[in-house]
Amino acid sequence: MNQDLDQIKIQYQHKIENIESTQELEKIRIRLFGRNGLINDLFKNIKDIAPADRKQYGHNLNQLKSELESLFDQKSKSLSVNSTSIPKINIYSPNNTLPKVGHLHPITQTERLLNEVFQKLGFSLYDGPEIENDEYCFQRLNVPLDHPAREMQDTIYIKEPEYLLRTQGSSIEARLLSQEKPPFKAAFPGRVYRNEKVNKSNHFIFHHYQGVVVDKNITLKDLFGTINLLFKTLYGPNVVIRFRNKYYPEVEPGVGPDMQCFSCHGTGCSICKGAGWIEMGGAGIIHPHVLKMAGIDPKIWQGFAFGLGLDRWVMAKYNIKDIRTLLGGNLAYKPNEL
Amino acid sequence: MKIIYSEIIKWLPDLKDDPKSLRDNLTQIGHFVSGFEEIDGETILDLEIRSNRADCLGYYGVATDLAAYYQIDLKIPQISDLKFSDSPVPVTINSPDVSRIQTTKISNLKNSPSPTWLINFLKLHDINSINTLVDLTNYVMLQWGIPCHAFDFKKAPQLIWENNTKYLEFISLDNTKINLAPNNLLITNSKEVISLSFIGGQNSAIDLNTTDSILEMAIYNRSRVRNDSRSLKTITEASIRLDKELDTETIPLAFSHLLSLLKEHCQAVISGQLLDIYPHPPAKITINFNPLSPSNFAGINIPTDFSLDVLKRLGCSVVQNPESDLSVTPPSLRKDILIPEDLVEEVIRFYGYYKIPTDTPINPQKFPDITPPILYLIEKLKDQLTALGYDEIRSWPLVKTSQDKNAVYTQNSINSDYPVLRQSIIQSLKSQLDQYLRYKLPEPQFFEIGKIFSQINGQYTEKYALGIYNHNPQKLESDIESLKLPLVKEGPRGVDNFSEIILDDLPKPDIYIPKNSPSQAIELTSQIINLDANITLDHPQDPRELIKQYSALIDPQILWSMQITDIYQQPNTKDYRYTFRVYYYNTDDKTAKKIHLKTFNLD
Repeated sequence: MNQDLDQIKIQYQHKIENIESTQELEKIRIRLFGRNGLINDLFKNIKDIAPADRKQYGHNLNQLKSELESLFDQKSKSLSVNSTSIPKINIYSPNNTLPKVGHLHPITQTERLLNEVFQKLGFSLYDGPEIENDEYCFQRLNVPLDHPAREMQDTIYIKEPEYLLRTQGSSIEARLLSQEKPPFKAAFPGRVYRNEKVNKSNHFIFHHYQGVVVDKNITLKDLFGTINLLFKTLYGPNVVIRFRNKYYPEVEPGVGPDMQCFSCHGTGCSICKGAGWIEMGGAGIIHPHVLKMAGIDPKIWQGFAFGLGLDRWVMAKYNIKDIRTLLGGNLAYKPNEL
Repeated sequence: MKIIYSEIIKWLPDLKDDPKSLRDNLTQIGHFVSGFEEIDGETILDLEIRSNRADCLGYYGVATDLAAYYQIDLKIPQISDLKFSDSPVPVTINSPDVSRIQTTKISNLKNSPSPTWLINFLKLHDINSINTLVDLTNYVMLQWGIPCHAFDFKKAPQLIWENNTKYLEFISLDNTKINLAPNNLLITNSKEVISLSFIGGQNSAIDLNTTDSILEMAIYNRSRVRNDSRSLKTITEASIRLDKELDTETIPLAFSHLLSLLKEHCQAVISGQLLDIYPHPPAKITINFNPLSPSNFAGINIPTDFSLDVLKRLGCSVVQNPESDLSVTPPSLRKDILIPEDLVEEVIRFYGYYKIPTDTPINPQKFPDITPPILYLIEKLKDQLTALGYDEIRSWPLVKTSQDKNAVYTQNSINSDYPVLRQSIIQSLKSQLDQYLRYKLPEPQFFEIGKIFSQINGQYTEKYALGIYNHNPQKLESDIESLKLPLVKEGPRGVDNFSEIILDDLPKPDIYIPKNSPSQAIELTSQIINLDANITLDHPQDPRELIKQYSALIDPQILWSMQITDIYQQPNTKDYRYTFRVYYYNTDDKTAKKIHLKTFNLD
């Protein structure tokens, strides 16, 4: 069957190349792409292909369609330019359609939204490897081997126990602390991995947005004000946020920022499991052990760190019902604004 | 950890908060209440106990924290006088992993089905009732946070705690066969395994005929329990507690409570001595604490009197040093308090995070830019490519297979169908294209910038790669040239309509600040439907205006795009025929056709 497609391609390539009038080209167009045209017939016949070959055949057929359409467009343009007499067929000039608009992925759009806020606050951006080692993903974040806090994250290992896919953006923090001299401020969006089954509401890949400041006299007040700004950027000026005590090994004191439930506004509903609040990530003053391990003297320098997941926010903002869409082929964009 | 409101009131009779206020205050001080429900007339609060607060895996620890927070008294359950006999208990400890154990023997038991109050209590904690003796051991675990276990003496008249050197398997209480590994902490009778540290065995199970029992309450080296539980793939209520840092000093009180309850509810008689093996009691720690430090950390004034009061309420011993700092010794229950910052957190969480202002972000002072230049390059390329009409995608960096010996494999991914980290971004783009073709997306052109991975001799490398696809290969080529990017036409990085460029090797800008232009993305749930229509006009019109005019007639929720694919002047009439191609989404064929016919007056 694939051989047939090749023959069709060669045959119509030749025909299209040798056409001299737009009328002839139109006939070919109808024969190829019309409702009862050859391409549609081939698509209808796909059900007769052996199941094992069907996917490849479909791929090849789409490829053929795309290539013939492309040849067809080029030819029509050249006929249009060369034709001088009336009546003329002015087929498919680029001006006949609205220009194709490209789009950034919603995660990128969100990262940029936050990058802009933090760059205005004097933050740099930072980056780190996705294949991490235990030292930077755990130990330098005050989570030694066999520490119960490791159970907070299911790890995908490359080579257990040393190499793994980073479970948290904090590994970038550990890299940053060990590589740069304070004072500094940096934000780092990044992909993280947890060993979770993929379904409509869970994924093994998440997107974290984290930030770190190391300077003198850094306080929780600085942290709360910064996180407040972050959430107001994402959710608007009327968002209600609370800060509560929450343990994370890499910070002390630790902070859990919550947002009042957007659905019930604090009264309790199924979305917030009756709590009235939704957990939004973690934060805190950088633990002195973490600073010491990076060669930073905690008696001189203090810092705060924060992190939040972007996926849920993006799903709510873009009305995406299935988390798999964020990393899958059914996320698409209209080619232009109508 | 679930707590029943009425049960916590027994520990804190002076607590005035209603369940909702209690929920909010527990959350404020670090015990997030993730569930709140009424069951059988009881209010259940489901606490998310973080891994540093193993003391709160029982009512005792939670109540102790709340007593300090509310400044009210803690009421310890009533414990009757216990008289132990002189008879030795047949228990031998041959393992260094036992941190402390109390054990004794009880006799003349009248075991029976549990009373209703006990059945209901356990049910609210998601534990099934077995019989009174077993249920009381679970009750005590939930109350004090420390597991305990009862062995049928007739079935197991001798108990040895040892690390595995010879045993191959063990049948647990739920009749599961567990294959053992060297060094697992076991309780044996020297011939067979009676129990693990965190789950009992079938061969010593308590039943209604049990009259004599050896009871034990122990805390072990948490790493040993954690390793055993993980490697044997067995998680129990006991292992969840024993693999964390528990308080060995709580054992005498909790074990006495168990014995007291057994006397009351099973008419048990203590027939053995109290064996208390405690090889290395932990040394008390002393922390130097500056009473001004909570204010320094919070950024607001927290009175030093308040700080001292909190520490004392928590059970810390506080001694004024000759210098300005204080010497603080935390209570043994609080294994998480080790350094001055831990004390600071204690003070601030009780003072109230909500009292810290939230209106001032960090000072916007700029420090030297430490942004890696490749991040600027990535942002710049994203802007350039979207300007050329490409959509950005993000895909799984894991793929199904690789023939390359330098591929990086994951070891334990649940998603075992995708075990390999991609070595080329084209693999991901091809999967994306397949999906788009399935949805019949017209004229796809898209890109992804992401990591690709490889390894040589165990050294892992990852690079940023740009992958581009265009349904029109000529446009792909001209676009890449217009961006002055290296064009790859052949080999694995230049396949058909795909091209891949490694970004790490390219020159990078010193800075690039992108503009964010929000746009909508759509989650396709059905195929895009493509329908054509002709309209005839007696004079030429701007095609783009026509597109706008006709697209306004269709609900944007189902209109994907509209093009004019052909303009033709009829030789006879001199009329102009415009051919539209309209793409519909989020609808079915029949509806699309109906709308299409109506829009273009084709009825």
